[in-house]
Amino acid sequence: MTEDRRISRIVVAGSGLVGLTAAAMLKRKIPGATVTLVGAAPADALSERLHATLPSIVGLHVDLGIEEAQVMMGTGAAFRLGTLFEGWNGKRPGYVHAYGEVGRTIGIAQFHQHWVRQAQKGKPAPYDSYSPAAMMARGSRFVHPQDDPNSPLSGFEYGLIVDPRGHVAMMRAFAQHVGVVERPVGIADVRLAADTGYVESLLLDDGSSIGGHLFVDCTGPAATIRSKLDDRFEDWSAWLPCDRAIFAEGPGAADPPTLDTATAHAAGWAWQCQSRASGSRGLVYSSAHLSDAEAGAMLPGTSVAFRSGRRSQPWFRNCVAIGDAAVTIDPLEWTNLHLAHSALDRLITKMPDRDWSPVELWDFNRECAAEAERARDFVALHYAAAERNEPFWRDAAAATPPDSLAHTLRLFRERGRLPLYEEETFTRHSWAAVLLGQGVMPRRVDPLIDLTPPDQSDRAMAQMREGIAAMIPNLPTQGAYMRQLSGASR
Amino acid sequence: MKAGSVQRVVIVGGGTAGWMTAAALVKLLPHRVDVRLVESEAIGIVGVGEATLPHIRAFNERLGIREAEFMAATRATFKLGIEFNDWGAIGDSYIHPFGTFGLGGGAVDFHQYWLRLKQAGVPVPELDELSMGVQVARQARFALPSTDPTSLASTFGYAYQFDATLYAPFMRKVAEEAGAVRTEGRVVGVNQHPESGDIVSLTMESGEVIEGDLFVDCSGFVSLLLGKTLGEPFEDWSHWLPNDRAVAMPCKTATALTPLTTVTAMPAGWRWRIPLQHRTGNGYVFSTRFISEDEAAAALVAAVEGEKMADPRLLKFIAGRRRRSWVKNVVSVGLASGFLEPLESTSIYLTQIGITALIELFPEKAIADIDRDEFNRLVDLEYDRIRDFLILHYHATRRNDTPYWDYVRTMSIPESLADKLELFRKRGRVVKYREGVFLDASWIAVYLGQGVIPEGHDLRADAPPLDQVAKGMEQMKAQIRTEIAGMQGHRDYLERYCPMPAEAM
Repeated sequence: MTEDRRISRIVVAGSGLVGLTAAAMLKRKIPGATVTLVGAAPADALSERLHATLPSIVGLHVDLGIEEAQVMMGTGAAFRLGTLFEGWNGKRPGYVHAYGEVGRTIGIAQFHQHWVRQAQKGKPAPYDSYSPAAMMARGSRFVHPQDDPNSPLSGFEYGLIVDPRGHVAMMRAFAQHVGVVERPVGIADVRLAADTGYVESLLLDDGSSIGGHLFVDCTGPAATIRSKLDDRFEDWSAWLPCDRAIFAEGPGAADPPTLDTATAHAAGWAWQCQSRASGSRGLVYSSAHLSDAEAGAMLPGTSVAFRSGRRSQPWFRNCVAIGDAAVTIDPLEWTNLHLAHSALDRLITKMPDRDWSPVELWDFNRECAAEAERARDFVALHYAAAERNEPFWRDAAAATPPDSLAHTLRLFRERGRLPLYEEETFTRHSWAAVLLGQGVMPRRVDPLIDLTPPDQSDRAMAQMREGIAAMIPNLPTQGAYMRQLSGASR
Repeated sequence: MKAGSVQRVVIVGGGTAGWMTAAALVKLLPHRVDVRLVESEAIGIVGVGEATLPHIRAFNERLGIREAEFMAATRATFKLGIEFNDWGAIGDSYIHPFGTFGLGGGAVDFHQYWLRLKQAGVPVPELDELSMGVQVARQARFALPSTDPTSLASTFGYAYQFDATLYAPFMRKVAEEAGAVRTEGRVVGVNQHPESGDIVSLTMESGEVIEGDLFVDCSGFVSLLLGKTLGEPFEDWSHWLPNDRAVAMPCKTATALTPLTTVTAMPAGWRWRIPLQHRTGNGYVFSTRFISEDEAAAALVAAVEGEKMADPRLLKFIAGRRRRSWVKNVVSVGLASGFLEPLESTSIYLTQIGITALIELFPEKAIADIDRDEFNRLVDLEYDRIRDFLILHYHATRRNDTPYWDYVRTMSIPESLADKLELFRKRGRVVKYREGVFLDASWIAVYLGQGVIPEGHDLRADAPPLDQVAKGMEQMKAQIRTEIAGMQGHRDYLERYCPMPAEAM
C-alpha cells in the first residue's frame, strides 16, 4: 500500500470573513481534513470590509449549505440588484449596472445593437430602462429571479448587502458547526523547511506552533505567510490610480434600497449602500490628487491604504494566498470578495496532493490570473471611459489601458462588439451596460441588424420598455418582500 | 432595395468554402453585399471534408436549409462520433463521441468518479459503456437527441457525413437563388492598388476585369490572393503534423452503414472510412518522409472493404496556417488560410468559423484595423486549439512498430499541449476554455482512449460511499441499454427521413 499523499491537515491564517469562509468550505468539501484557523482578522483587507457583494455570494452560501433565510433574517442583510453610477460622465445622466439581461434579442442581432442603431438616429430611452433588474433597482423593488425563462423577471442575478459584523459572526458559528478548530492566537513567525523552502509551521504568539500540509493565507495585503516565500507582485496602479479608501458606518433601514450608488468626485469616487442592519459610506481616492486631510474632511471614518495589483503566483509551494493576500483591487464594482470566493472554489476544485505537482499549481494560478485581470479591466474601464475635467480624471483618461482592455474598447467603439475572454466575471450584458452607460458609443452597428427593419425594432423596444415600466409598481419593495418571505417561512 | 454603401464582394474559388461563403453572405447580409463568385470548371475541388462536426447544423439552420432536403441531396448519413482504431496500440479501439460520459453537468466531472473506482480496484463498466453517444454509434442506431437535459437521450449530439462534391453544388443553388452571381473562368491577373496594395480587380482569361471592394480567397491550397499575391507567410507545422499527402478512393459500401467516421492508424499515417448513402469514402493520409505515394495508394487499395468506384486520387498539403487570415482587403476562408488534416473532421468547421467571423465582423469599404485584428484573433485561437488536439493523437501512443510512429511518439510538442497532458496525467483534469471547438468530453475520450491514464482523481469524488458510486455506474449502463433498445437502426432512419433520389442509387 502506498503512502497516503492526500492533503489532510490544513491551516488557514487570518480569522476575518475570508479566512472563516475558507476554513468552513475546506472542512466541508475535503473529506477527512482537519482545518485549523489561526491569526487575527486583517484590518486592512478591502474584501473583508465592504458591505456590497456580487451575485456569487448567493451560490457560495448554497454551496456551503447556509440557508438564505438565515443570512437575511439572522444577520440583517439586504438584497441588492446593482449599482447606480453618477457623475462619471459630466454630460450624461446616471446609469444602473444590474446583473442580468438588458432587452431581448430581436431577429438575429443582439439587443444592444438595436439600441445603438436607434441612438444613431435620435435620442433613445436610457439603456437601463430595458433592464428589468435595473428598473426594479431604481424603483427599490425586489423579487427573486423567476424559473420560467419566458418571464421578464428570469434573466438576472442578485447580490447582497451584508453587515460585516453580523456576517462574520454567522460564518464563525457555521465554521465551528462544521468542525473548524479556531485558535484565536496571533502569528509570530513562519518557519520554512531549510532544504525545500516549504512552510513547515507557524509560530504563534502564545509560544505554541502549528504545522500542516497546506497553509491558506487569508491575512490580507500583508500576506503574512505567503510573503515569506516570495514577493513578486504586479502593480496595477497605472490603470487603477486610487490608493485610499475611507470607511464610515451608519444605521440600517427597515426597507433598504436594492440599489447602491457609486458617485464620482474630483479625485475618485464615493459609495453608499444600506442593509437592514447597517449602512456604509465610503470614499475612494488617489492620494496623489487629494490629501488625506481633505479626504477626511469629506468623509470622516477609518482610512485604509491599498495598492491595486496581484501577487504573480497566489499559490506557491504549499501556501496559497486568498483574498487581499492574493489580489487587491479598487472596490468599484465590488469584485474583491467575489475574487476571494472564486479562488476558494478553484482551490477546492483543483486540490492537488502533497506532491504539489507544478502543473496543478500552474493551472490554479493561470485561472486566478486571468480572472483577476478581467476584473481589473472591467474596473479600469470605468476610469478609462469617464469624462470629467479634474486633473485626476484627465490623468486617468490619458493612461494607456492594458492590452486586453484596449482591444475591447477599440472593438466596441468601432462596432459595438465585445470580445469575450476566459475567466470573465461579468457577462456581455454587464460590459455593454457600463460601456453604453458611460457614453462609449459605437461608430457603427452589427450588419446582421439589417434583417430587422428599424421600425420593427423600434416597436419591439417600446413594447419591452413599457412592459417593464408597467410591471415595476406592482412588485414589492425590499421591506415588503422580506415580510412576505418571513411570513412564508414561519 | 440596396443602399449606396453596398460592397462588391468577389469570392475566388467555388469549392465547399467558396459556395458556403457566398450562400452565407447573400442570405445574412442581403442589403450590404453584391456577391460575385469566380470559379473555373477546369480546376477541381479538393472536397475531402466529407465528415463534419455538430456545429454545421447551426450554420445550415441560420441559412434556412431544411435538414432532410440537404441530407438527401448530399447523400448524407448521420455521424455520432469518430471511431479510432489502432491508435494507442495496434488492436485498440475507441470512439470520440459528440456527447458526454454519464449525464454530464455535475459539479464533479463524471469521469472522476469512474477514475476513483478504477483506482480503488473496483469492477466498473468501461467508460464508453457509460456514454450514450458511443453506444448508439456502436449499435448503428439513430434518433434525434432529446431536449430534456435530465434525460440520457439528451447527452449526445450529431453531425453529418456527406458527399462534398455534392455539397458545394447544393450550397451554390442556395447562394444563386439568393442572388449570388457566378462567373466561369480562370483568373489570369490580380490587380492591386499601387499605394495601398489592396486588391482592386481580377483579370479573367476572357479579358473581363472584375472589380471588387472585398475579396474572399477560397482558392484552396493555391491561396491565390492571400498567399501568392499578398505574400502572407505560411507557418509550417509539419514538424508536429508530418502528414503531407492523402490518397482518396471511394468504394461500394459492403458492411454496415455506420453513423460513424472510422479512422484507422496505418504504418505511416491513418486511413479514413466515411459511409455515405450511395458509397463509402476512403483515404490514406500519410507522410512522404516515411512512405512513397505508390506504396500508400497500394496500401489503401488493399485495405478498402468493397468494390472500388474510382481510381485513387492524390492530394498534396502541408499542415499549418497563414500568419494572418485577413490582410488588407483579402479574407481567406478554408484551405486558402491554412490546413489541418481531417483526422477530427475540422476542415469544414474551420471554413465555417472563417465565414461566421467574417459576417460578424463584416467591414465597411474602408476596413478598420480592429475588424481584421479580431478576425485573426478568433481564427488563430481555433487553429491553435485544434492543432494541439490533433498532435495529442500522435504523441499519446505506445506504437513503436514503424519509424513514423517512433517519430511522432518522441517528437517535441507545443508547450501548451505538454501542460494539458501533464495535468490530465496527474488527476484527470482538462484545461477548461470558453472558446475552441473541442470540449472536455472530447479531450477525455482521446486521452483515455489512447492510454493516458491519470494517476489520481478529484478528491471530491471520494465523498459519496464507494459501493453507491459503483452501483450508480451499473445502473447507468443498464439505462443506456434500455434507451437504445427503443431506437431505430441508422439505415432505416435514413430511408424514412432523407432517402437520396432514386436516380442516384
